[in-house]
Amino acid sequence: MPILRTIACAAVALLIGTSAYAPSAQAQDVVSSLPRKETLILENPEGTIKNPGWFNIWAINAGGQYTGLQQLAMDTLWYIDPEKGLDGPIDNSLAAEPPKYNADFTEMTVKLRPGIFWSDGVEFTADDVVYTVETQMKNTGMRWGPLLSLNVESAQATDPQTVVFKLKRPNSRFHALFTVRFNAIWIMPKHVFEKAPDPMRFDFNKPVSLGAYALHSFDPQGKWFIWQRRDDWQRTTLGRFGEPGPKYAVYMDAGPPDKRVIAQMNHNLDVVHDVAPEGMFTLAKQSKTSRGWFKDFPYAHPDPTLPALLFNHQRPEFQSRDVRWALALLIDIKAVSMASYRGAATISAIGIPPTGTHPDDYHIPMQDWLKSFELDTGKQKIKPYDPNVGKQIADMLRPSMKEQIPTDQASIDRSFGMGWWKPNPQAAQELLQKAGYTKRGSSWYTPDGKPFSIRVMVEGESRPVITRAGTMIAQQWRQFGIDAKTELAQGTMLDRRNAGDFDTLISWSVESYGGHPDLAYFLDSWHSDYVAAPGKMQAPRNYMRWASPELDGIIETIRGVSFDDPRSIELGREYVKLAVREMPIIPLMAYNVFVAMDDTYWTGYPTAEDPYANPVPNWGNSRYMMVRLKPSE
Amino acid sequence: MRTYAAYLAKRLMQFALVVFIGINLTYLISHSTPIDPVEQTISALTSFGNTSPEAIETMRQSLRELYGMSGTPLEQYLSFWSRIAVGDFGPSLSAFPTPVSELILRALPWTIGLLVVATVLAWLLGNLLGGLAGYYRKNRVLKALGLVAMGLHPMPYYVVAFVLLVLFGFLWPVLPISGGSGMAVEQGFSLAFVYSVFIHSLLPALSLVLVGMGGWFLGMRALVSNIVTEDYVVYAELGGVDRHRILTSYVMRNALVPQVTGLAMSLGAIFTGAIITEEVFGYPGIGSLLVDAVHAGDYSLVLGVTSVSIVAVSTAVLVIDLLYPLLDPRVQVE
Repeated sequence: MPILRTIACAAVALLIGTSAYAPSAQAQDVVSSLPRKETLILENPEGTIKNPGWFNIWAINAGGQYTGLQQLAMDTLWYIDPEKGLDGPIDNSLAAEPPKYNADFTEMTVKLRPGIFWSDGVEFTADDVVYTVETQMKNTGMRWGPLLSLNVESAQATDPQTVVFKLKRPNSRFHALFTVRFNAIWIMPKHVFEKAPDPMRFDFNKPVSLGAYALHSFDPQGKWFIWQRRDDWQRTTLGRFGEPGPKYAVYMDAGPPDKRVIAQMNHNLDVVHDVAPEGMFTLAKQSKTSRGWFKDFPYAHPDPTLPALLFNHQRPEFQSRDVRWALALLIDIKAVSMASYRGAATISAIGIPPTGTHPDDYHIPMQDWLKSFELDTGKQKIKPYDPNVGKQIADMLRPSMKEQIPTDQASIDRSFGMGWWKPNPQAAQELLQKAGYTKRGSSWYTPDGKPFSIRVMVEGESRPVITRAGTMIAQQWRQFGIDAKTELAQGTMLDRRNAGDFDTLISWSVESYGGHPDLAYFLDSWHSDYVAAPGKMQAPRNYMRWASPELDGIIETIRGVSFDDPRSIELGREYVKLAVREMPIIPLMAYNVFVAMDDTYWTGYPTAEDPYANPVPNWGNSRYMMVRLKPSE
Repeated sequence: MRTYAAYLAKRLMQFALVVFIGINLTYLISHSTPIDPVEQTISALTSFGNTSPEAIETMRQSLRELYGMSGTPLEQYLSFWSRIAVGDFGPSLSAFPTPVSELILRALPWTIGLLVVATVLAWLLGNLLGGLAGYYRKNRVLKALGLVAMGLHPMPYYVVAFVLLVLFGFLWPVLPISGGSGMAVEQGFSLAFVYSVFIHSLLPALSLVLVGMGGWFLGMRALVSNIVTEDYVVYAELGGVDRHRILTSYVMRNALVPQVTGLAMSLGAIFTGAIITEEVFGYPGIGSLLVDAVHAGDYSLVLGVTSVSIVAVSTAVLVIDLLYPLLDPRVQVE
């Protein structure tokens, strides 16, 4: 049959043609025209950018931010690293020194570093800082406009290297707005923006860079962005630490998790931002050149963010701390760790993420207090803390993961966390009864006679690890006789969380610096003044809407203490003790990010053994890894 | 001719009504989504910093102004129709201030290019092989093809896509697994760019063709199997007419009429994109744009994409309806 023969011949020809193309296919998939040995390829977790030609990071939604823009081209006064940092966690970047406040924190003076230049050769001065502040104050539709206009009375350049901010009200943490944790108020190039008719509708393409890299090219479809090391990299703030290794850095949309794994297996993606635990385990097992933050299990980098079970304190069921504690004592964290992270979780019993320098400042020094902490159930006093849960998780995993599980206690503490609350159904029953709840048959009822029903809101498949944690917790409560179910809020999670439309949810209201003990970054927003009325939108981060006069006192004291004052650690520990007694949220674990790094082309990535920077490539401070990366050969 | 003119006028009115109702429904549905684009933007902006309630409120008001959400619902609705009447869908909310029309125009050529080729290829191959299989029922190769088609057709699309991805992206990595064209290949009418687009479209196109072809194959085989039992085919065979002529002129030609309708509908539907294909293969088309828009609550963009799709599908149906009476004498406009 001639038609069939023709089709068969065409198919064979296509196959041969494809095979002939094979050697260049992989190169095509990476950066075909760039020398691979000089190019670092990182994942942009934003995916494909819909308006890739926009680089105005100060406007709302105008372009991508994790395209290398905030990491390689932007700069601001200070950086704070969630880890130990290249030269300590705090880096005076465009600022030459730490901020100087007057006695009542109504004025902040900043000395700027001289000899820093924009990529178009114009010198950076105090005028750029003042312009950044004034432009955004005039345009409250710009990203930091509302915050600046609420805080700043005036910003004045008293000389080319000095800016004096006069504040509308005392604020001992005003400099935090210009301090990169994840990002911060980036400095605008006055000489470029002042020529634009409308700063909110200016695309800033091609962006003028203050960082060590400048834009080389980008995909008009928004899938990749290529940055090239500046010839004058010494005239940038990163230049103090040496020459950045990669000549080119590519931030690309690497697709869904399975494709990221494939891309790294093929050595086409040097830094994966995040994969599912299973993807990381596959890479660790099958790719000799891939590794995570921890060399062995659990591999992931613990973000200074604390996923927790958040109660809605405006629901009557959760207003008693006895109820909240009862629910905590019904959770077996080992099972939650296995269900969510397959055991690769770093647990925390207290409301501080177990990462960066926090274990040294909080977790370790508070062990004795935690061990002696007593809970009165109404019928007995119990000591609910079990200091060895991290070790138990490690022991549980050892038979299957063998030598991948660390054996020394310090590594176990660092990787898996220390202790947590012992499951204690008897104490939970007594606490519930103390709060007026009753058990009839196998079901629990609230004091007003209704079935004790709890919906645990989870995000769904877009955050599978957290969703699995919520499912396990609901299951454990259900086994105790509480009508608990998970509730998927895929796509609507943020709206519902902010509106208080939930019983409980797995999310985070604690985000800290990691590398610095000051807790004001999240704690200030927990003040009861900021708690929205039921039905109204809650400002970040007190999504549980907890109001506590005792906590208000701690927050107000912190506001009057300077950022680096050692008293801030003591105040932080006061917060921890209060949060343990009241259990406003049930802390679970650090938000572990499975960053996978491939040594095929580059070595010197930040790791748990050498924690000089945050490896998560969308964080602004990941720029520091550039100066430590070296070609593999 | 007068009858046809009346039919034309009636169909044009129906077309306008369908488009109007379709766009209104989309407007209603997209505006009743529980996702508020302003709150989504605020959440994104405040995710990584400490922000006071006063600052949030100022931001909320500014965004409502910027996004054109400050008027009453009626004012917003009237403003929508006054803009859409001149083809202006306003700015995208999740990619502010880029116009929706710009985003659609940027994504459409990719989707149209991929889907037109894949749809037509699947249609041609499916119908050709299905027709042959229906006519030469004892041919072993065609029987085997029938089994393959029956196996592929009910298979979930994403399974086929994932298998191809693993086969040609990982185990035998000969084809790119993501994107519409290679990096550093400048977009334009150059040989390098055309080649790059072709290579990048192979996997998504292959997955679409494999799954799509199965459906056309089975449909055509069934149609031809019925037609070969018709009297006029039997008479032609008994009369010694060449079998090739019977197949092409008598059987396939008649069987193709419903398949052409299906093809026109499929081509009209490409304006919503091949959502799963584009997601799986990271293809920069209209389907990915729509998914992103839904996730972000960007109803300007959702409205833009769906309105284009409504007009395209309605136009395809209109064109078929208008052409049939002219092409097929059995169809009466009455």
